[in-house]
Amino acid sequence: MSSIDTAESVVPEQVTDVKERLMENRRVRFLLSPGLGLLWTFVFLFLPLTIIVAFSFFEPGEAGSIVYEFTLANYQRFVEASVYQDIIVKSFRIGLTSTLIILPLGYTLGYFLGRSKSRWTPILLGLVVVQFWVPLVIRTYAWITLMGRKGPINEALLAVGVVGEPIKLLYTTHGMLIGLVVSILPFMVLPVYSAVSTIDEEVIQAAKTLGASDARAFWEVTLPLSWPGIVSGILFSFILSAGAFIAPTLLGGPEDRLIAPVIATIFTQDFNWPFAAALSIVYVLLIGAMLYLFNRKADLEEALEGTSL
Amino acid sequence: MSERTGVLPSTGASEWNWRSVKLVSLLVYLSMLIPLAVVVINSFNPQRIAGFPPESLSLKWYAAFMEDELFINAVWVSVKVGVATALLCGFVGTVTAMGFVRKRFPLQNTLVIALLTPMLVPPVIIGVASTIFFVEVGWERSIWWIVTMHVLISLPYAFLIVRSRLYLFDDTLEDAAMTLGADRITTFREVTFPIIAPSIVTAMVLAFVISFGEFTATQFWVTRETTTVPVVIYSMVRTLITPKVNVLATLVLVVTIAIPVLGLVGQRYLAGNR
Repeated sequence: MSSIDTAESVVPEQVTDVKERLMENRRVRFLLSPGLGLLWTFVFLFLPLTIIVAFSFFEPGEAGSIVYEFTLANYQRFVEASVYQDIIVKSFRIGLTSTLIILPLGYTLGYFLGRSKSRWTPILLGLVVVQFWVPLVIRTYAWITLMGRKGPINEALLAVGVVGEPIKLLYTTHGMLIGLVVSILPFMVLPVYSAVSTIDEEVIQAAKTLGASDARAFWEVTLPLSWPGIVSGILFSFILSAGAFIAPTLLGGPEDRLIAPVIATIFTQDFNWPFAAALSIVYVLLIGAMLYLFNRKADLEEALEGTSL
Repeated sequence: MSERTGVLPSTGASEWNWRSVKLVSLLVYLSMLIPLAVVVINSFNPQRIAGFPPESLSLKWYAAFMEDELFINAVWVSVKVGVATALLCGFVGTVTAMGFVRKRFPLQNTLVIALLTPMLVPPVIIGVASTIFFVEVGWERSIWWIVTMHVLISLPYAFLIVRSRLYLFDDTLEDAAMTLGADRITTFREVTFPIIAPSIVTAMVLAFVISFGEFTATQFWVTRETTTVPVVIYSMVRTLITPKVNVLATLVLVVTIAIPVLGLVGQRYLAGNR
């Protein structure tokens, strides 16, 4: 009882005290608040992107130097030489293709993990999460031995009799797609898993009780309710495979010149920084436009959150 | 669980569907795990040109690896960069997430997207843009380029993790502490921090893992002395596959799996201490 009395007598003073302290610390709190992360992002991402906009209007000089004079030549080159437009189209096509493969495979595994009641499920889920932890370079180059002419894949296909002679997988578009799809699959599996696992079993059961077949209950209840996960998976699948660098260069063939390796080559081997900047800007603007449309139909922030658990 | 069959008589279709779901899932697992298993097994293959499966096993390449200064140096650089990234990113990510959850300010929803943009810009473009930027402002190429940019790349993930914890946080606890006379620092140390600490650990572990594995943007920032593990692996694989790459990859596999597992154990410990 006595402790309550003292507490009551103390409270009024303390409250004003707290308010004062809050006011005092306002400036400190602003610095130690959203400002820090935003500052980092603006200085090290948005400022560089702005600077390369300027660079894309400069002229490449001799031996990698830059002539700081305004020119439209880099964009003219992009418009006139259709090869660079083709490369961007090809990158988007690869992005689309791999997304279309990842969607059913990733959804199935995500659905399995979300619905399975086995006690092994946490471990199986862990095996998917582990994929994020293993460097992409390792997960991609690991296919080289497997895909070789005398590699295990060909030997298995020959043994089963699916093919008569070894097929060429390594350094082809198909090889690259396999590497891409498998490395990006976890980005579909995890958001679908978290969406499916939160669906109340009774909702599905109710649909069936009301006469829906298994298929109809799936298409009209489960699938719409797992939509947020699917949207997140599609976003990452497309962005990551269209902008991929490692799979096209390690597993793809000479015809698989996608945008990311091309920009890198122009930058590091031709030393043509202004043209690399111009291509980057064109690509970023195209992706930005797509994301703008995406954000009008779906919640971009929610989609980006999808893989964070 | 009789619910499985439901009120209506089961047609058997459900079981059949579930079996095909399991089959596809199994295939996906095989495609994710077999390549990694082949790398691990081949790291014990004494042959220079590794066929599969190996005819015999040996630790020959492990011994060779230990004497390879290029590889050892790369591991050392990657660990340093990863630890620095984790510490910085843990701090910046936590402070930023607290700011976004606790404060209301104009354009907040747009600024969240801005903060998450590093997830959406292709890493090659991040690499190209930042390199031009650093060169133009005259910042000399060093390990700090890599750390700075790795913080940028892992910041969205750290931010999202800490933020989701803060959303669940009951902030009347903080009010209570301050009403009882604790100042902001004490409140943070005694109330807020212990509650969000597990998520900060998760964020830092993830930042380390992202930093340790990042290749595509990082290739633009390395020097001969500051080559990281993924960059070494990539250039080895591009030029001549030395079997030592499999050794390095195997060790990385062990480390990248061990560190998050240790992190999770640490997180449980912090959570259990509460």
